[in-house]
Amino acid sequence: MKIIIERFDGKKKYESTYELRIDEVKGQTLLSLLQYIKRTQDITLNFTAACRMAICGACAVRVNGHSYLACDTKMEELLEEYENPESMRISPLNNFRVITDLVVDWEPSIENLRKVKPTITPKSEFSEKTGCVQTQADVDAIKKQWDCILCGCCASECNKLEADASDYMQPFVFTHAYRAADDSRSKDPMIHLKPAIANGLWNCVHCQECVDRCPKGISSFGDIESLRVMAMKKGLNEGMGPAHAEAFLLDMVEGDGRLNEIKLALRSEGVLANTTKLDIAYNLMKAGKMNPLHIFGGEKIEGHAELVKMVEAARKAEKEGTIK
Amino acid sequence: MSNNKEFAFFPGCVLSQAAKESKMSLEAIAPILGITLHEIPGWSCCGASQAQCVDPIASLVANARNIALGEKMGMPILTTCSTCMLTLTKAKNTLDKGAKDRINTFLAEGNMKYEGNTEITSLLWVLYQNLDTLKAKVVNPLSNLKVALFYGCHSLRPERELTKESSTNPKSFEAVVEALGATIVPFEKRLDCCGFHASYPAGKSVRKMSSQIVGNADSNGADVVVTPCPLCQMQLDIYQERYQDENNSNIRKPIIHLSQLVGLALGLSNKELGLDLNIQDATRLVG
Repeated sequence: MKIIIERFDGKKKYESTYELRIDEVKGQTLLSLLQYIKRTQDITLNFTAACRMAICGACAVRVNGHSYLACDTKMEELLEEYENPESMRISPLNNFRVITDLVVDWEPSIENLRKVKPTITPKSEFSEKTGCVQTQADVDAIKKQWDCILCGCCASECNKLEADASDYMQPFVFTHAYRAADDSRSKDPMIHLKPAIANGLWNCVHCQECVDRCPKGISSFGDIESLRVMAMKKGLNEGMGPAHAEAFLLDMVEGDGRLNEIKLALRSEGVLANTTKLDIAYNLMKAGKMNPLHIFGGEKIEGHAELVKMVEAARKAEKEGTIK
Repeated sequence: MSNNKEFAFFPGCVLSQAAKESKMSLEAIAPILGITLHEIPGWSCCGASQAQCVDPIASLVANARNIALGEKMGMPILTTCSTCMLTLTKAKNTLDKGAKDRINTFLAEGNMKYEGNTEITSLLWVLYQNLDTLKAKVVNPLSNLKVALFYGCHSLRPERELTKESSTNPKSFEAVVEALGATIVPFEKRLDCCGFHASYPAGKSVRKMSSQIVGNADSNGADVVVTPCPLCQMQLDIYQERYQDENNSNIRKPIIHLSQLVGLALGLSNKELGLDLNIQDATRLVG
């Protein structure tokens, strides 16, 4: 079969095609295949790798446009996933600057990590003598996030980063921000939460690519959601993102039980901004897809009073600390 | 679908408003395909992947109630909205993995109980599981229609929550549209995100994402973009003029719902399928 590798010599992009017998491919990992090609066919091929046991995160690349941790990916699984193709395309991680061949620049990502201060400042009650003891439950709350090995697979496939990275950080950065902010030993979660908000917490597009690409099963999207919940609880609810999310909750519980699209637009960006969208509203009304009278509210759903009772009971239990 | 299949139908908010043609076309194709839809009485908004960012416990309770309402009807829950399907499925997974008893104490306030015995499925998935029946009902094979298939994120991802098929190399949509006889064009953006859920806070990025999808479909020769997700349809259709202008593109492309494409192959009229309600003209797809 053909293994096509996207190359870059520092100035120009090109690709190299390597012909391999299927028995040379099967039984390999993606990383050992790259090493085999370098050893037997092309000494000039550049890629990064270190631990070979999925703990250092150095060897992530893309295959057919999807990111994989090379040392943790069996070629047989890839052949099965892509139904024994005649060729496979290996390329560097997306959304990173390529230095050479499959080697990418991590410095901007590390700079973003620095912004969210991923190490914790312990609470004053801890001392050298008493230590920083956590309960098992406290450890469990952030255990998964500690598994992040900074491989960049989530960032590579992030649809928001691809569109515009200027107002958004890599998904794993939010995971590290949440891990630090939710650590029971941390003196102040705001140290991590505020820079996360300032660097695009509400700009995630919910594509869920980060969830599916993480070789460690971490959900950066889930961590983004958790950071948002934390922000709302702490009263950091300024901006269009919080207003938009809150509008759905308002309609669901305090409203009629279903989304009111007119109120949603007004609540999300205000009356003034909506005047620039009057043409769109007109088209929708003309097509019978928007009822202007909904601005006064609609009909409550059957059983709405019971829904409110259920939600209030849950909120009360949460407030009393009987649930987290 | 050879025997009548009955479903507890969860329309989701968008089907009664900005994507009403999605509901119209679904209700038009259902009887032909032997599907009977019983709308769940009193269903509420699922939170649309947004409310859980403000109040996760309220969202979980509301969706436990939605599923419990469907369970009472004794049939699987079907929705055509991918975000509703994902949100309901995530709630079901959370309940089944240990939250059931705790959440049931809250549902008891309304004399309701979540049992965990109902499947949640989508139109795409039901069609995929019944390809032979679908094929047998086609009276107007769409071989002259070149279609770009846009899955929409929440039809596929997260794979570990939805567990229906590979999100890396999915097959269901292609199989369904092949059964309709349509010509599927290559479409590199088929698994991408339209950006709908961040259209307010990250508007500029989202308009660029949507514009690239329409542009990519066009450059591959598609006559039309089809999607199983009404939110993607809305994002790509309603705002198309604006984001194409903003991105200096004069490409205009009809964006239709999966149920509308199925309806065309079943010989239904533009009117029956609500194709005259789409903002980008979709009334001339079949001659």
